[in-house]
Amino acid sequence: MRKKWLGLSLSLMLAAGIAGCGGNDSSDKSSTTNGKSDGSVAAPSADKGQPVQLKYWTDDRHDQEYIKELINKFNDTNGDNIQVELTVMSENYTQSVDIAFSSNQAPDVLRLKSANTSEFVKKGYLTPIDGYLTNDMKTKFGSLLIDNVNRFEGKVYSLANTGLTMRLVYNKDIFAKAGIENPPVSLQEMVDDAKKITEVGKSEGIYGFALNFKNPKQAFDRSIREILSLSGYQGLGFDMKTGQFDFAPYSQVIEYFKQMHKDGSILPGAETLDIDPLRAQFAAGKIGMYLSFSTEPGVYKDQFPTDIKWAGTLAPTLDGQIKGTSEIVSAGTWLGISAKSMHQEAAWKFMQYMYGDDVLKTYHEKGFGIAIVPSILEQAKNPEIGGMEGFLVGEHDSLWPASPNVTPEGSNYADAFFKYMIAGGDSKTITADLNARYNAALSKAVEKGEITVTPNPGFDSSKPQDK
Amino acid sequence: MSFKWKRLGENSLFLLPSIILTAALGIYPLLWMLRYMFYDYAGYGEALFVGLDNFSRLMRDGLFWESVGNTFVFAGGKLLLTLPLSLLLAVILNGKLRGGKLLRGIYFMPTVISTAVISVVFYTIFNSYNGMVNSLLMKLHLVSQPIDWLGPKHAMLTVILVAVWGAVGNYMLLFLAGLQSIPQDLYESAAIDGANAGRRFLHITLPMLAPVAQMVMMLAIIASLKGYESIMVITEGGPIGKTEVMYLYLYKLLFPVSTGSPVAQQIGYGSAVGFASAVIVGAITGLYFFLSRKMNKVY
Repeated sequence: MRKKWLGLSLSLMLAAGIAGCGGNDSSDKSSTTNGKSDGSVAAPSADKGQPVQLKYWTDDRHDQEYIKELINKFNDTNGDNIQVELTVMSENYTQSVDIAFSSNQAPDVLRLKSANTSEFVKKGYLTPIDGYLTNDMKTKFGSLLIDNVNRFEGKVYSLANTGLTMRLVYNKDIFAKAGIENPPVSLQEMVDDAKKITEVGKSEGIYGFALNFKNPKQAFDRSIREILSLSGYQGLGFDMKTGQFDFAPYSQVIEYFKQMHKDGSILPGAETLDIDPLRAQFAAGKIGMYLSFSTEPGVYKDQFPTDIKWAGTLAPTLDGQIKGTSEIVSAGTWLGISAKSMHQEAAWKFMQYMYGDDVLKTYHEKGFGIAIVPSILEQAKNPEIGGMEGFLVGEHDSLWPASPNVTPEGSNYADAFFKYMIAGGDSKTITADLNARYNAALSKAVEKGEITVTPNPGFDSSKPQDK
Repeated sequence: MSFKWKRLGENSLFLLPSIILTAALGIYPLLWMLRYMFYDYAGYGEALFVGLDNFSRLMRDGLFWESVGNTFVFAGGKLLLTLPLSLLLAVILNGKLRGGKLLRGIYFMPTVISTAVISVVFYTIFNSYNGMVNSLLMKLHLVSQPIDWLGPKHAMLTVILVAVWGAVGNYMLLFLAGLQSIPQDLYESAAIDGANAGRRFLHITLPMLAPVAQMVMMLAIIASLKGYESIMVITEGGPIGKTEVMYLYLYKLLFPVSTGSPVAQQIGYGSAVGFASAVIVGAITGLYFFLSRKMNKVY
């Protein structure tokens, strides 16, 4: 009997030991860390006593080799005996961060994106960095501090590095074959060009237009958003002047998309197309044009290398006139410091290094993102990736104030308009219903104190950052 | 300490790991969900008590009820094709067939392959711009235009076919186990009495298989009503909600598909939808058990 109890006790101890080991392993199995290229991990300098260990988590994979290089350099050269360990998440970054914070294993420095920053601030994950900002940094980043993007209730949590511009991506060879000299500047021209291309190319499986309609919100947020902002309207259906949602301009754009669908100018099967299969078809020369982010040049360099001649150009507008500015998205945030970090001073030193001119300049020049910090744009050379020239920040690009993010009851605007686009219905009723549901959700969020909305009757879409 | 108490102590110790796991991973989340279905909660910040608001929203949520309807079509289609097909295969493989063991392994294979991988493969087979099915049909001159297998008209049929392909082997194996437990002497005496193969199947195989079939059908019903994984990969519930099933709708509320712009979690409303979905699945399973109660009477 005693042996049985001994055996059981040992088993329990073993199980507890295994569980304990598992619990202490904060790194995700699907992640990579900043080992040097030979596989060794950056070693702490032994002669300076116990180093300050910082954990930096990111879900950016496209720049990981360069970031590893930067971190190894920082680890070797900083005079404060700080050692940074990089963890690159492959999937479910937000969930991994949630788990890390709830189990007290949070990283010290986090990669922040516009899609997760506000949530992280609300959850209390981030510490404000106002106290650390030097005058030089305030001058350098001052014009890029935006409420509800990197500044919340007057406190700054992150600083800008790069942003994504959005463009019409078109196949020059196909346009030439269809006898079209220039890419469309109005939506009517886009409809006509898509029709012409399909007429000429359909027998070879070439169609005028496509988008990744498997997720209509992803498709429209990379296309209609840009068409509207360049046409003078906020791209997600929010009216800056009234501080209310108004999907009337959105419904005008949808009419042109509906026409392309009716004409048969959209690639068959686009209803269930993801962005990567779309890119594969574009690289194979089967799609005349689509709209997307400035990530595309990198994609056609590494992911889907292609021989086709293609370019990016400003999105078409409602009537061919540029009345607003093309919105730069995913901008305004890069790194942030954990509110739970025991080494916030050291984390700031690392952040300062990463936000140095050299790092930001090289980041842009290597094509990992398009710099939006004015002083960096002045000194940096153009990125080394082919096709990027069409995506560079120009006179028609700018940041826009953040629009409120609300969750209405029922379907979102993209699903509702996509249904109208392919199955028909009454556009006015759909628009009125969306306005009513989104504004109801907005009022509720304001009432709960989650959002503050200030109408700006003098809002000028050609200078969206002017107060 | 008496032998009885020692025994009780030992047994409790053996049960402890499963009790801890059930409590932590089953009962606690369930209680958590039962609480939050009365709250407006986005996964962070304050949870606001809203009473039955989430349920009144559920009653007027057209998208949810559409997804319930789609679930019935999906589950009905899957069951109607899967169960007869898996029984047929089980009966064939239960005979002395050459290469039977190999075929069993092949038919069972889809069960062990990742659903995500299977679904990606089927997406490439069925997509309308360069899918294999359309290429084949057009080469055989059976169709002149590619069929939009994943479009609004045919997407449900396609995801049902994929689900059937993934499930047949699994239920075949369960039916096969049931068939092999039927005593051979019943068949022998029936054969001596002059019963042909059809009569033996109708009067021996089916009645003797009834208790197993009852369980298999119950498992199949639950799995069909809860299935959404392959749909999520192939169509993500689209186009225009044509393949949005109940549990996919629930999944999207709790774990919104990430996009460039943030989409908030709806833990409170999602919990209410989860509860309603579980009640629907439970009610259908209960009704099935009631209707099939005679199947459990072993001869």
